[in-house]
Amino acid sequence: MPKFLHTADWQMGRAFSRFETEDGAALVEARFEAIEKLARLANEHQCDAVLVAGDVFDAQTVADRTIRRVFNATREFTGPWVMLPGNHDAALAESVWTRAKRLGAVPDNVHLALEPGVINLKPQGLAILCAPLTQRNTYSDLTETFNTLETPESLIRVGLAHGSVQGVLPEDIDSTNPILPNRAETARLDYLALGDWHGTKQIDERTWYSGTPEPERFRNNGAGYALVVNVPKPGALPKVTPLETARYQWHQWREILTVESDLDQLLDRLQALPELSVVDLRLEGSITLAGEEKLINALSVAEARFRSIQCDRSGLQLEPTDDDIAALKADGYVGEVIEHLRIQQQDEDAEAARDALAILAGLLKDRKQEASE
Amino acid sequence: MRLRRLKVEQLRQFRQPFVMDDLQPGLNLIHGPNESGKSTLVRAIRAAFFERYRTSSVDDLRPWGDSAAAPTITLDFDAQHKSWHLVKSFLQRKRCDLTIDSTSYTEDEAEEKLAELLGFQFSAKGVSKPEHWGVPGLLWVEQGTGQNIEQAVEHAGEHLKSALNSLVGEVASTGGDELIEQVKARWSELFTPTGKPSGDYQRLEKEREVHQQEIDELQARIQKYQEQVDRLGKLTQDYERTQHERPWEEVERQLEQTKERYRQVQKLEQQQAQEKETLTHLQNNQQLLRQNQEQLWSLNKKLEVRKAELDKAQRELEQAEARSPATASSIKAAKTAYEAAAKQLEQARLQDIRSRLEQDIRRLEQQNQTLTQNLEKARQYQQELEQAREQSRQNQIDSREVKVLKNTEHQLKEERIRSQTIATRLTWQLEPGARLALNEEPLEGQGERQLLEESSLVITGVGTLGITPGGEDLASTRRKLSALEQSLTEQMTTLGVDSVQQAEYRVAAHEAAERTLRHSRELLGSVAPVGIDQLLADQKETESELQKAKAQLQNSPAPEPGQQAQVTDVASAEAKRTQAETRLAEAEAEERKHQTELLTRRQTRDNAESEWYQLQDEVQNPEHQKQLQKLSAELAGIEDKRVRLEATLQAREQEIIEARPSILKQDIERYQRSISNLRQTQEERQRELRDIQVRLEAWGAEGLEEQCNEKVAELEKCHRRYQELHRRAQALNLLLTLLTEKRQALTRRLQAPLQKHLNHYLSLLFPQATLEVDEHLRPGTFSRGTELGQIAELSFGAREQMGLISRLAYADLLREAGRPTLVILDDTLVHSDTDRLEDMKRILFDAANRHQILLFTCHPEKWSDLGVAPRDILAMKEQACSAPG
Repeated sequence: MPKFLHTADWQMGRAFSRFETEDGAALVEARFEAIEKLARLANEHQCDAVLVAGDVFDAQTVADRTIRRVFNATREFTGPWVMLPGNHDAALAESVWTRAKRLGAVPDNVHLALEPGVINLKPQGLAILCAPLTQRNTYSDLTETFNTLETPESLIRVGLAHGSVQGVLPEDIDSTNPILPNRAETARLDYLALGDWHGTKQIDERTWYSGTPEPERFRNNGAGYALVVNVPKPGALPKVTPLETARYQWHQWREILTVESDLDQLLDRLQALPELSVVDLRLEGSITLAGEEKLINALSVAEARFRSIQCDRSGLQLEPTDDDIAALKADGYVGEVIEHLRIQQQDEDAEAARDALAILAGLLKDRKQEASE
Repeated sequence: MRLRRLKVEQLRQFRQPFVMDDLQPGLNLIHGPNESGKSTLVRAIRAAFFERYRTSSVDDLRPWGDSAAAPTITLDFDAQHKSWHLVKSFLQRKRCDLTIDSTSYTEDEAEEKLAELLGFQFSAKGVSKPEHWGVPGLLWVEQGTGQNIEQAVEHAGEHLKSALNSLVGEVASTGGDELIEQVKARWSELFTPTGKPSGDYQRLEKEREVHQQEIDELQARIQKYQEQVDRLGKLTQDYERTQHERPWEEVERQLEQTKERYRQVQKLEQQQAQEKETLTHLQNNQQLLRQNQEQLWSLNKKLEVRKAELDKAQRELEQAEARSPATASSIKAAKTAYEAAAKQLEQARLQDIRSRLEQDIRRLEQQNQTLTQNLEKARQYQQELEQAREQSRQNQIDSREVKVLKNTEHQLKEERIRSQTIATRLTWQLEPGARLALNEEPLEGQGERQLLEESSLVITGVGTLGITPGGEDLASTRRKLSALEQSLTEQMTTLGVDSVQQAEYRVAAHEAAERTLRHSRELLGSVAPVGIDQLLADQKETESELQKAKAQLQNSPAPEPGQQAQVTDVASAEAKRTQAETRLAEAEAEERKHQTELLTRRQTRDNAESEWYQLQDEVQNPEHQKQLQKLSAELAGIEDKRVRLEATLQAREQEIIEARPSILKQDIERYQRSISNLRQTQEERQRELRDIQVRLEAWGAEGLEEQCNEKVAELEKCHRRYQELHRRAQALNLLLTLLTEKRQALTRRLQAPLQKHLNHYLSLLFPQATLEVDEHLRPGTFSRGTELGQIAELSFGAREQMGLISRLAYADLLREAGRPTLVILDDTLVHSDTDRLEDMKRILFDAANRHQILLFTCHPEKWSDLGVAPRDILAMKEQACSAPG
């Protein structure tokens, strides 16, 4: 009753450039932890093997340290690991894999599927049909060979591939590394473990994308899982159980503020997020000076709380109310300037106008405070 | 505002109260000479308003030397439709009292009211300074400062602006300018004064570029890395395929086949060459045999030739032999002729010798005879010479000494004569046999003796008689005589003579001998110049020669008798003999030549004969015939072989040509090269593989993409920060621009009323001229026709005039805004010419319609046409004195 863990798209060596250095480092670290967690889960769920369906590494030339750390992180699970080169880490003549081998970083229990073919894990009752990428991109279906590959009757037939299943995924028109949707059927596979799509996704009852164990972008649905696959016997339907592996949750919100309560609602939602979050806000609409102040305060609090929060307010207009302006005591031509900026926010140079207005409001507020002191 | 009354007391020269009342709402012309207190009154008005009552810094107000004084100023004026009464005392009595209508204010409160009314500030400490004066500072012009308006406008700025604000109905932002400064300060953090990015903003922009550049470089390297990886992949594929296919092996096989074919062809070629060589041998052999045959055939011909040669040699020999007797006879004749000639020559020579000998004998006999005679003579002369020499030697005497002797003798004689005259003469005549001895000298016979000395005369048997000569000179004479005698004796002894005569004789004899000697010597010299011995030797030689010649003659053979006649001279005989000898030599040469020819011909003949014999033997030999036959047979065999060989050769040649060995050779080379190329390519592939692998390993270790990712992160961070700053910069730019623009627009609106008033006055002073007010409400650019410039560039007088019209314009502005205005001019416009002053008077008169103007001057005559009555300070003083209280 072989059972294995299906994971993919670790993308090790990726840098998170859009974040501050410190946050980026933490996110990188989380990916190493994810591997350790996978090893732990494999043990916990008494898996016979761990299959990694491509893109273990984000690039061919990652630092030696990254290579070593990746393999070190697998240590906890001493059963066989089968790692498949994906489009990011294709098994080229010289690749991250050849380097890893040269470095002596690859433990004995890690099988590198650098050539198409079958890896028989007899003790585990598994025959892994591998379709590694040996070029960065291919336009032919590498899994086609699965159809003709023979495996011992007694072993579970598991396909391991990396690419886009045709006609199922969005954005896959003309995509590289195509995979036939019913490959599991044509190749008589008990299970087809796929990588490349970063969210967990079932294609058919025998074909799954595991997704990446640790999210690394805002736009993927269902990232942060690994799959425990249980195939009772050859030909039986697999039982697939997603396990949560993510450390950080990535949230990207596009909000339009129109009335004051919109802001309150947003802040409440923000408040409700767990601390291990990576948040990206983009605000549009308009906000009063008081609202802006409130928002800035809330963001300041959120910055301390979350792993990272970024807020794009360039689309958000500052709409000082009459009270705001009265409160600023902006008379004479300064008042005219405020009015001008308010109007200019609707124009093409809205951002500058908005910022200018914010600066002016700040200065006036400071002056008011000074005066009151 | 209208000042109605001014009273001062205990103030500088106004120790007594001084009042100036009835001040008119318009122009007031107050005059007085210097030191009359004009300026003091101006100072008093200023002090009343500006100086704090409690200040101690107004000592200048105190009358000179009066420390107890309390300078007091009392002012009555109307303002804001109210009546104001101000009393201000300083120093000794510090007070300020102000009554506005019926409301009283004192001290600070009172002063605040004043400041508010007129628009000025008080000095916090000490005397009031221009910066405090505000509006009055602008409208109250002190002596000589009328042209300086900028500062005054600045100090009055706020008041002017507020006046303008109220006038225009605009609200200048409260603290708007401050705000602009703040924005500008923030703007300056990002920009240089010229608007270029600075500080972080600029640094980030640059950093961004640097990062981008680094990333570009890294990406380029990654690109290269990937290209190398691809190259590696392709190479590996190629290498392995090639290694599997081993394409060179097919070529190697082809090479082997071609080589085999080539070897066969080579073998053919070798055979061909060998057979060609054989053919050549055959041909050579054939040729040789043919030559042999020809040679054999040629022997017979040769034999004939040799026979002919032999015959010819024989013939020639015989001819030569025939010539032999003639040659022999001619040589014989020549020999005979030669011998005859030789004999004749011998005879001639003999004859010649003999005759010469005979001649010699004759000459020698002659010579001998002469020599003998000479010898004889010479001996004789020699003898004579000897004799003369003997004679000379014997009579050798010195003639000079003889002369001395003779002289001595002569003296002696003379002395003797003298002595005899004085000497004692002893004469005797003795008997024979009787003897006497005088001085022991026996005397006999007869004799006489002169005695000069004591003498003794012994007479035998008689005894001795002593005789002593007397006379006076006797002794000296005797001594002289004795000396002379002694001298004579000595001289004679020396000369070896006994007497003087002998001496003379010897002299003569010596001279004669000498003469003879010389004569004999000459004679001897004539016959024997070298001496007798030589003569004797010559004679002996001659004699021996003679003997020899005679012997020779005797020995020489006498010519043959018969021949005597033929004998000619030796020379001709010699010539003849030489001729004969030549002929003989010729004959002999001819003979030798003949003999040689003879020998040669004989030899030739013999040779020819032997050769002929030899050849004849050979030709007639049967072996020779056999050889000839054999040669013919051999030749036929060879010819046959040759023909066959040539046919084979031709066939094989064709075969070789068809095999194209050169092309085969090229093929071999081509295949070899191909193999080498194929292998080399593969080796190069392998090498490149290794190189690329090594390179990629090195590059891979750098973690290029990860590095690049990190750099991208840095760039993005930098970019984010830059964007923040950029946005801020844009916002600040916008804000500053807007604020400045709005501010300027406002200023322009505010300037308008002021400009209006300014233009009003300016048109009176300079028609068609303009004077623009700047943003700080100061008169700025002045233009008149084509002139354009700042006020400060004008002449002093013009500046003063401009200053004044500006002030009046401000006054108009203030009045329009409902502010009180009072214009005080202290001796102003002193630098204006008459025309300008005239214009200014019109202006002042015009302004006086709206403002009260106090004009202080010490030149009342200049202002006489101002339309107001001048007021004389001195007169007023008089009045004050005369009307106390």
